[in-house]
Amino acid sequence: MAIGTTSRPARHAAAAGIRRRDDTRLGLLFILPALIGFGVFLIWPTLRGIYLSFTKFNLLTPPEFNGLDNYLRMVQDPVFWNAMKVTVYYVILNIGIQTVFALVIAVMMQRLTRRTWLRGIVLTPYLVSNVVAALIFMWILDYQLGIGNTVLEWIGLDRIAFLSSEAWVIPTIALINVWRHVGYTALLIFAGLQTIPETMYEAGRMDGASEIRMFRSITVPLLRPILALVLIITVVGSFQVFDTVAIATRGGPVDASRVLQYYIYDMAFGRFQFGYAFAMSVALLIVLVIITFLQYRLTRAEESDLA
Amino acid sequence: MFRKLRIGAAALSVGLLSAACGGGEQAAGSAGTITYWLWDSAQQPGYQKCADAFEQQNPGLRIQIGQYGWDDYWSKLTAGFISDTAPDVFTDHLSKYAQFVDLQVLRPLDDYPATADIKDTDYQEGLAALWKGQDGKRYGAPKDWDTIAMFYDAAKLREAGVQPADLENLTWNPTDGGTFEKMVAHLTIDNNGVRGDEPGFDKNNVKTYGLGSDGSGGGGWGQTQWSAFTGSAGWQATDKNPWGTHFNLDQPAFQDTLRWYFGLAQKGYMAGFEEIGGNNPTPPDKQIQTGLAALALDGSWKISSFTGLTDTAGNKLDIGLAPTPIGPTGKRASMFNGLADSITKFSQQPENAAKWVAFLAGAECQNIIGESGVVFPARPEGTEKAIAFNKADRDLDVTAFTDHVKDGTTFLFPVTSNAADIVALMRPRMDAVYIGTAPVESLTDLNDQLNTLFEVAG
Amino acid sequence: MATTTTPPATTVDPAAPAAEAERPEARRFGIGRALAWVFMILVIFASLFPFYWMLRTALSSNNALYAGSDSLLPVQPSMDGFARVFGLQTGQEAIDAGGAGQPINFWRYLLNSVVVSTLITAGQVFFSAMAAYAFARLQWKHRDKVFAFFLGGLMIPAIFTLLPNFVLIKQLGLVDTLLGIALPTMLMTPFAVFFLRQFFLGISHEVEEAALIDGASKVRVFFRLILPMSAAPITTLAILTYITSWNEYFWPLMVSYTDRSRVLTVALGVFRSQTPQSGPDWAGLMAATLVAALPMLILFMVFAKRIVNSIGFSGIK
Repeated sequence: MAIGTTSRPARHAAAAGIRRRDDTRLGLLFILPALIGFGVFLIWPTLRGIYLSFTKFNLLTPPEFNGLDNYLRMVQDPVFWNAMKVTVYYVILNIGIQTVFALVIAVMMQRLTRRTWLRGIVLTPYLVSNVVAALIFMWILDYQLGIGNTVLEWIGLDRIAFLSSEAWVIPTIALINVWRHVGYTALLIFAGLQTIPETMYEAGRMDGASEIRMFRSITVPLLRPILALVLIITVVGSFQVFDTVAIATRGGPVDASRVLQYYIYDMAFGRFQFGYAFAMSVALLIVLVIITFLQYRLTRAEESDLA
Repeated sequence: MFRKLRIGAAALSVGLLSAACGGGEQAAGSAGTITYWLWDSAQQPGYQKCADAFEQQNPGLRIQIGQYGWDDYWSKLTAGFISDTAPDVFTDHLSKYAQFVDLQVLRPLDDYPATADIKDTDYQEGLAALWKGQDGKRYGAPKDWDTIAMFYDAAKLREAGVQPADLENLTWNPTDGGTFEKMVAHLTIDNNGVRGDEPGFDKNNVKTYGLGSDGSGGGGWGQTQWSAFTGSAGWQATDKNPWGTHFNLDQPAFQDTLRWYFGLAQKGYMAGFEEIGGNNPTPPDKQIQTGLAALALDGSWKISSFTGLTDTAGNKLDIGLAPTPIGPTGKRASMFNGLADSITKFSQQPENAAKWVAFLAGAECQNIIGESGVVFPARPEGTEKAIAFNKADRDLDVTAFTDHVKDGTTFLFPVTSNAADIVALMRPRMDAVYIGTAPVESLTDLNDQLNTLFEVAG
Repeated sequence: MATTTTPPATTVDPAAPAAEAERPEARRFGIGRALAWVFMILVIFASLFPFYWMLRTALSSNNALYAGSDSLLPVQPSMDGFARVFGLQTGQEAIDAGGAGQPINFWRYLLNSVVVSTLITAGQVFFSAMAAYAFARLQWKHRDKVFAFFLGGLMIPAIFTLLPNFVLIKQLGLVDTLLGIALPTMLMTPFAVFFLRQFFLGISHEVEEAALIDGASKVRVFFRLILPMSAAPITTLAILTYITSWNEYFWPLMVSYTDRSRVLTVALGVFRSQTPQSGPDWAGLMAATLVAALPMLILFMVFAKRIVNSIGFSGIK
């Protein structure tokens, strides 16, 4: 995928002589440690995984090349397509709700009150791991024993099988992960808000602009690079949802929460069909690359509007 | 590719090992520390005692126990297999070991002097045979066994005017459910206090279900759910056991039994799938503790969980045991399952590992385990110790479990290849039947899929 | 619990700005502001209630928890859960209380966690900042192509990397060491590079150019200008990285074999279900979670001020 170079307008021409200088040697030096980590711990294993996706491989005996067999099987596997559908549904719910909430919370942390403790509180859910978040909500949302359902009953509503009914399970998992990540996401956006000079808002106020107006014409455009980053990061992360499902539902009821990563993991570690699991991982990787590329283009993440 | 890496890794680790042992007195290879893994933390203290006794009798050998919870356990073991960091000896499970034999990561115990003379007859009948592979070699030394019985809350029985003795000879059949269903209906109470066998019973608002539920049973052949019923209806899961290749889920005996069993949920006598928490259910012991259920089928490994239950004030619940009901065959039935210890191919000191396995499978260690009262050891005399412990320490008569063995009313856990694939196919389909979104007849399709699995594998 | 981020809050949100738009002059004390506060209070409640529930569960007696599930206060209050976390109960006592019979060497695990998280955070943030600067500000051939490649790293499913990385750590002789746990994320993560690059892009060129005209080298500009100016995002990233590595479970579980390298999350995993058909040791697990989260909370409180106060963006016009 190609990303447009950051060409700067001509007004920087004054210093162009200095900046145009070729920094290749320094650049390489600066990225060297990261490049080593990247190549060794990410790219090399991935290339190998892509190769293994064309093999029958059970991990312990040598892989046998079997061409496109795994991919053909994938195209015909209804469980795979269901997993894809479930995952996309989850991502839409999770990202939709989380982004709106995070944005509102971040703006409020900026405009309503800048108390440090508020930021601390909003981030507290991130202090527990995915695993623990899943466990605590399993406990709170249990149909019979959960305080959530007890409260529903106290206020005269019917109990809800949050994690054990096919209709509720994905929305519930999406909300559990919103709970854990919304503060994190808000904090990232907040860090972006900090880069917007206060003078801009002062100018806006002098012109009599309302909060909503300033949000639309100052905050959103200037926040775009960070918002793009946040969206890309959270969408990619959301597609890889695994822990909550593994802990709370194991893919059920029936296949209602069998998200892609869980299906892949079970195929590999449970069923030792690593070749097929890698083929599905390649499919996931391709989907993510396409989605990220589209987001990158649509949000124009390269341009900051600030300088 | 991994293989190549492994060889490199092995070479490297030998180098490191010899470097590490450079100043030591012992030669490499007999470093003498045997690593042993198990998943049940409740059993660790017992096995630590075994390890202490073993070390005393075998100077120069040390046992290092590693414990990881069930889910982590298998992942870490897999990682250990590819990177040569697997333990010497580990606790093995029937639903996993066939795969390990296929993957050639276990050492046959027949090859080592210490374990070559393990005799099937030293253990409860049938247990040892389960651990022989299709090649006739032994891959696990039996350590314990389990069967199924009914646990009940004695207080709930008293409220219903039922004597514990009334539970001793219940019968069931797939047509009207027999005296077992009548009992379960009677123990069921709705929110208005109406019992399940009284007019006006509201099956949609039940306070206490007569029968607790441990889920759909798709993950382990209904072991703690419906296996006691399908078994006493005379049904076998596969054409032969172990190593069956043809499945019987299309047989009327199976489908009629399941239609009746899951029908109990539709009638309001057993908690529904959603209520118990779906695929990750509130375990039956907790269902009894919270008053959601009056009695429940569960395995002998849960004895200590059930007897430890208390009410909100911290008073122990009065938990009793009754045998599983008698079915259409005129007999009771219980699945018979057991764990064993296996030696991995990666052990650098298989002779020493075999000594430890032999010790774990021997009388001394199994008596220690029996006296710690968590499970029933595989050796009859160890079993006796466990029975005595439950009588003395918990005032609990566990004959409901042991009679199955004495009377020969057990059938073995279906041991097959492709066990993980079977679970992956079975679990969602069984869930759907329990929920009620798919008819029992849909299991015929599932059966075809399972059979296909073995045709392909050839 | 129904209050976690559910509808009541959403209905508040659009209403707030709308009301403000009508009466801009009443902005400071208007109804919009009040509704915004209501929203914020709901968010705070939703964030904290599960923690109260953890505390309440941690202070209950395990064996009575299920029976008293609808009690808002601890059921049969007891400190046993915490005693188990700190390894103060003997194995048998713990088992009787519904826990695991494992020896727990709490302070050792805490130290291991601190070492691992510090290694990862220091390494990852520093090396990622260097790379991010190269991607944002240095001119070199194929720069943007290489960056796109880095960004692609973000999307690699963990299943690809888990086992090969483990084999590599084994080959390096780092199994059961703290360095082995830290190494794969010590040099970079695509996220960290991406995050810092986006911030560096936003830093005004004029300041940098002024320094360069004064004769400073780009290395000097990076250390003396860019890093200090980016204190806020770097601190933010460092805290998030620290928390992430602190909470990491599966990778440390793979690498660690003995107490030598066992980190807190892995050690406290014994409070989760150990056998397939048993529930977790809820009291112990919740106590463990709270105890493990506490150092992070303190860390955040100490550095949170820094995020707000050091608005190191004076260079932005």
